[in-house]
Amino acid sequence: MKILVCIKQVPGTSNVEVDEKTGVLKRDGVESKMNPFDLYAIEQALCLREAYGGKVDVITMGPPQAKSVLLEAVYMGADNGGLISDRKFAGADVVATSYTLSQGIRKMGEYDLILCGKQTTDGDTAQVGPETAEFLGMDHMANVQRILAVKGCEIGGGNTVTGEKTITVEANMDRYLQQVKMVLPCLLTIDKDANTPRLPSYRRKMAADENCIQTFSIQDFADQDENNYGLAGSPTQVERIFPPQKNTSKEIFEGDADLLTTTFVRILGGKKFI
Amino acid sequence: MNYHKMDQEDILALKQIVEEKNLLTREQIGEDYCHDELGGISSYPDVLIRAGSTGEISAIMKYSYDKNIPVVVRGSGTGLVGAAVALYGGIMLETTQMNHILELDEENLTVTVEPGVLLMELAQFAQDHDFLYPPDPGEKSATIGGNISTNAGGMRAVKYGVTRDYVRALTVVLPTGEIVELGGKIVKNSSGYSLKDLMIGSEGTLGIITKAVLKLVPLPQKSISLLIPYPSMESAIEAVPEIIRSKSAPTAVEFMERETILFAEEYLGKKFPDTQSDAYLLLTFDGSSLEQVEAEYDKTAKLCLSQGALDVLLVDTDERKDSVWSARSAFLEAIKASTTEMDECDVVVPRNHVAEFIKYTHQLAREIDIRIPSFGHAGDGNLHVYICRDELNEEEWKKKLALAFDKMYERANELGGAVSGEHGIGYAKQAFLEQQVGKTQIRLMQGIKQVFDPKGLLNPGKVVCGASK
Amino acid sequence: MQTLHIHEELVNEQTAGQLMTTCPFGAISYENGKLDISAGCKMCKLCVKKGPQGVITLEEQKSGGIDKSLWNGVTVFAEYEQGRIHPVVFELIGKARELAAVNAHPVYAVILGSQLNDAAQELLHYGVDEVFVYDRPELSDFRIGPYANALEDFVKQVHPSAVLVGATNLGRSLAPKVAARFRTGLTADCTILQMKDNTDLVQIRPAFGGNIMAQIVTPNARPQFCTVRYKIFSAPKRQEQAGGKVTRMQLPDSAVETDTEVLQVIEKPKEIDISEAEVIVAAGRGVKSPKDMEMIEELCELLGAHMACTRPLIEAGWFDAKHQIGLSGRTVKPKLIITLGISGSVQFVAGMKGSDCIIAVNQDPNASIFDVAHYGLVGDLYEIVPKLTEQLKGGHGR
Repeated sequence: MKILVCIKQVPGTSNVEVDEKTGVLKRDGVESKMNPFDLYAIEQALCLREAYGGKVDVITMGPPQAKSVLLEAVYMGADNGGLISDRKFAGADVVATSYTLSQGIRKMGEYDLILCGKQTTDGDTAQVGPETAEFLGMDHMANVQRILAVKGCEIGGGNTVTGEKTITVEANMDRYLQQVKMVLPCLLTIDKDANTPRLPSYRRKMAADENCIQTFSIQDFADQDENNYGLAGSPTQVERIFPPQKNTSKEIFEGDADLLTTTFVRILGGKKFI
Repeated sequence: MNYHKMDQEDILALKQIVEEKNLLTREQIGEDYCHDELGGISSYPDVLIRAGSTGEISAIMKYSYDKNIPVVVRGSGTGLVGAAVALYGGIMLETTQMNHILELDEENLTVTVEPGVLLMELAQFAQDHDFLYPPDPGEKSATIGGNISTNAGGMRAVKYGVTRDYVRALTVVLPTGEIVELGGKIVKNSSGYSLKDLMIGSEGTLGIITKAVLKLVPLPQKSISLLIPYPSMESAIEAVPEIIRSKSAPTAVEFMERETILFAEEYLGKKFPDTQSDAYLLLTFDGSSLEQVEAEYDKTAKLCLSQGALDVLLVDTDERKDSVWSARSAFLEAIKASTTEMDECDVVVPRNHVAEFIKYTHQLAREIDIRIPSFGHAGDGNLHVYICRDELNEEEWKKKLALAFDKMYERANELGGAVSGEHGIGYAKQAFLEQQVGKTQIRLMQGIKQVFDPKGLLNPGKVVCGASK
Repeated sequence: MQTLHIHEELVNEQTAGQLMTTCPFGAISYENGKLDISAGCKMCKLCVKKGPQGVITLEEQKSGGIDKSLWNGVTVFAEYEQGRIHPVVFELIGKARELAAVNAHPVYAVILGSQLNDAAQELLHYGVDEVFVYDRPELSDFRIGPYANALEDFVKQVHPSAVLVGATNLGRSLAPKVAARFRTGLTADCTILQMKDNTDLVQIRPAFGGNIMAQIVTPNARPQFCTVRYKIFSAPKRQEQAGGKVTRMQLPDSAVETDTEVLQVIEKPKEIDISEAEVIVAAGRGVKSPKDMEMIEELCELLGAHMACTRPLIEAGWFDAKHQIGLSGRTVKPKLIITLGISGSVQFVAGMKGSDCIIAVNQDPNASIFDVAHYGLVGDLYEIVPKLTEQLKGGHGR
């Protein structure tokens, strides 16, 4: 079973604030790390490889430093990585990012399954997975909590087993769980806490080959029209960023039980809990 | 012992000293105050006072000294050996309201605190000011007063030492009500007997700590842990002396068994990142930069791999640290939840005998047919060994528990160890202390107690006061 | 269409250094005397506004442009799941009416599923001008392919200016698929929506874990998609009189064909892990006896809350250890936590202080729980809880 996991490098902390006066973002250091949600996707991919054989590759789009998260995935157990990096991709929104990723994925090769984290900690949109699936022309399922069955991808299979490759998954649909059988290839986003991600291995780090990471730029893509990438390919624009209004108010109420109860109901109502 | 039984007159007199709301009488005192974290013994004080200042405590002590009333000091009540239980009733002085951080002295690298400041509050305060208060016992909601009174150790002892190494000065109220200042903001001190050091670890039997000046170190900017799987407990622990010998300086070297990890998984409802191996070492390295820390752990990682480790797993981000350390922090509660009742032993042995001792507990468990899970600070030889009652009836349990304790302390003694590494003697371990140190040392300790507390009012029945007298 | 232009002649060590510290995304690099903007750029434009004057400027580029007058109406995707209209739909209709009024646009709803007559009719009671119904047995369960095709068909037929979708797991899966199909913008989890008079939808959403707010527009593409979480906006009152009309839409069979097969839909087991709960009622030592828990359980039921407790109640054996909040128990971060008779030990507070809204009930005005509570009610829980339960039952409940 050939699996590709899309990962992202995100800021090491979300402790950013906007200076009220200057409007400049204040950050605690500039460290970055792998998007924590992606770890669940990598773990899921590695478990599938253990069960069905095949390979697990990872891909990311970002600045050259983003190579470090690909290596981290390799230390966890991934086979190869692809880094999509080009200044032409600057300013990409969700659509442009997803499109770029889809081009990179096509360049990486053919896969049975594409996995993504449920969302990132910096963008929080949970959209790149589904949009990438659309650009790849495949179906997707979001918030997958469990993989129940895989057919047609048995070890040594692929070439020998004929018939349809399918995957059965259980996805979290807020109030209920939906069990769905899908035909491969497809894309899944893996829910948070679907598993406990394994730790990177020092043994694998020592053994890793630098050449396991390939880099792609726009020249490597089938579609080289710059209008489809970066800022030019982004339909949304950020007009401004500003600090949120902090609600640090604190209210203490005293009085008889009736008054307090009325207050209670008012607070619950105001916050839309009832 | 003939103590004065407290009456209405005493309560009225004490209300002259402390505000009414800070004085609770027998029927107002909650159940929590009759025992500590482990349970075992149970006894109520007659009066609970939430002390507010050194002056108040001094006045209370003067009164109780005159009237011959026993006094027990209590912090958060997180102890494990019954030290904060009022065996003889009397007054319980709770210090949790004296919880102010009084001063940060950046020139002398000290912080001055009241005894009721919680370890977690102090740790956070230090961190916010780019400092580290190194002692790091597992129970973060313990008070500093309690930490000093037991000379608490914790995970970072391998590199940084224990609470004793961070106490510069103490303000102490003696049983007579006199107030003394021991030590100072000085780095060196060679002026007579170190009374400050006698206070540390005295479990509230010599005086009452009302203020402490503690040493801080600059905050290391980076820390990375290594989770190292081994095929067996023996191979894991036998690697520890090699790690120490290699002169790398981990801040922590913890060992854990698969079984204990599984309990923690069950207790937390969360999977641990790796449970394929029988035993693990968990090492932490800290330093000022990523490069420095990497260089440091690199050497150790290679060493471990050459000494039989199955792999070395990197615990380098907040999420990963959380997934590993949250389990480590839950071990005590998890083992507690796995059985009906348990008792613990926190022996300490020389580091090169840890493996031997653990093997012995395994052998003992088989011999007397009782479950004895353990985890602990492999790097400093301090083990936390738990004897689990499971389905045993009362009689069998008592018998097997006593036997297990006797055997383990005996073995620890042979290996050159001590009864307690960081939890203290309190009420529960007095007999074992005497066995270990012998009559002469007990006599010296009792002599010291006599000088500080001639009437035997402070925390009676604890440490060295229960055995003879 | 705007792009960033680097004026090389003004680039030097100093200006480059300033720019690098200004950029919150670390997207600006300076190597061998050359300033570069990498793929990390989010077009926040701080380098233009706050960086050294004139080094990086904003260039307007001629955009392809679209005729916005061809795109009319604010649409609400009326999520219909397992026999009910998701309540977020009514909230979105309320907001859609406000937005549509700015340019006198109609308010549309589009609903997908099977046997939708009643549901479509119900929507007309909330001030929708026209409900577009895709009613086919193949749409009874959510399957991404047919759902995306149906919504695509609607956009092609009706040309709405904006589409509001609930940020449910279904909405967050469907909206991006369709937005990508039209190569148009989709802004997730908006908390504020405003309409410009040129029909551009102003979408404001929190970013970086809520530490900053970003204001986003989609000036050159239509329709403008956004998702909004449940309970951000207020639902309008249901009107007795239904208004507007229902239009039944047809789909070719090919549009509902898919390889994806729904095997089973399972009611979610009631969560027992409080660390994931959105609403929690926590009981502490102020609760005197185990039988009083019935009263609190009833409140939990009414609020859809999970029950939790402090360490003493675990030790008293009233609860399983998995219900304990605190340093030695679970850490929780719900949207709402109500603490009843909890004094607020450091132990406990450490496990819940990240909660969005903390309402504390305690008799002791000096209880430390009031230091962390957003709303503190100084009173007897034995008086307040029964009265509250009564009020909630009297029509205020959900």
